[in-house]
Amino acid sequence: MLTMSEPATVPDQNQPANMLEADLVRRARRGDLKAYDELVRRYQERIYATIYHMTSNHEDANDLAQEAFIKAYSALKSFKGGSSFYTWLYRIAVNKTINFLKQRRNKHHLSLNDLDFNAEHDPDLVALISDKTPHRDINLSELQKKLNEALLKLSEPHRMVVVLHDVQGVSHEEIAEIVGCNIGTVRSRLFYARQQLQGYLADYIKS
Amino acid sequence: MSETNDNFDGLKQLLKLKRHEVPPPGYFNHFSGDVVSRIRTGEQGGAEGVMGRFESNSLMKGLLQIFQAKPGVIGGFATSLCLLLLIAVVMAERPDGTSTASDMATIQTGPGDSPSLAASASPLMPAGNSGITVSTNLVSLQPSVAVFGSQPNPLFLPASFTQSSQ
Repeated sequence: MLTMSEPATVPDQNQPANMLEADLVRRARRGDLKAYDELVRRYQERIYATIYHMTSNHEDANDLAQEAFIKAYSALKSFKGGSSFYTWLYRIAVNKTINFLKQRRNKHHLSLNDLDFNAEHDPDLVALISDKTPHRDINLSELQKKLNEALLKLSEPHRMVVVLHDVQGVSHEEIAEIVGCNIGTVRSRLFYARQQLQGYLADYIKS
Repeated sequence: MSETNDNFDGLKQLLKLKRHEVPPPGYFNHFSGDVVSRIRTGEQGGAEGVMGRFESNSLMKGLLQIFQAKPGVIGGFATSLCLLLLIAVVMAERPDGTSTASDMATIQTGPGDSPSLAASASPLMPAGNSGITVSTNLVSLQPSVAVFGSQPNPLFLPASFTQSSQ
């Protein structure tokens, strides 16, 4: 049976959404805000999430993420392309966040985001609040609060490494480039931070 | 220190919870628009806004940090500012008892002018030889007589408003 097929649409390479990152960066450097808008769209979730997991505060994360993108736009002319735009942007966001947290001097105010629907169906998380866990009466929201409080007890550099690697899945090499240290330092910070967290959260981790 | 040798599996399992924390629905729909509009506003209003310049001042930054840390300090700071202003006003308006009439600058009028501007300017001023010297010459803003002593101020050049004869 013959069917009418729709004509294949060729993606318009001039549309920002279809452009390569390097082209978007080049256009944004010339002041093309549509190109920069596309760059923001591509990285907004990752940048926001990194800052949110560092601050445990949605409002702070919103402000800092916006400021990081604005700073990146104003500094685009100094971007030489030695690293990827994504790594460079991450570095700006990380520095901005660490400076903010240092200024706040351990005065943390939690403003946590809600857990998505999938959290209740994640077998690993369901197992954490099952009968075998010491605190079996705890629910996911309480666990979320305990976890964020424990993360905030870590120093900023240690928290950053845990957030980037264990939460966001960034590789050791990329973290070293973002944070500006060698891979050995990243590994040792990660080890120390996990040890600390394990101690803080011993009651909530299944042995 | 390898990841496989250390038993952090339980912790990694727990950290998975962080990945399920999501911002309010639709949050990212307007995020890039907000960023771009802030960039446009910044371009229109200069590199930094008024608040940006205000906050970039190190003294102001320090004050703002103190105010943020201890909101109670704001009240004390405002009160002391008001007190200072009040003292300044009182000091400025208090008549100086040690000064003589000749210590005060005078409004000099031409021989043909009448009546004296000084006399009409304020009833408190002694008529005839006191008041403000009106001049376009900055040097003449000095008191006509030195404050300490009776020697005339050599820098004082009294202005006169005599009409030129045509």
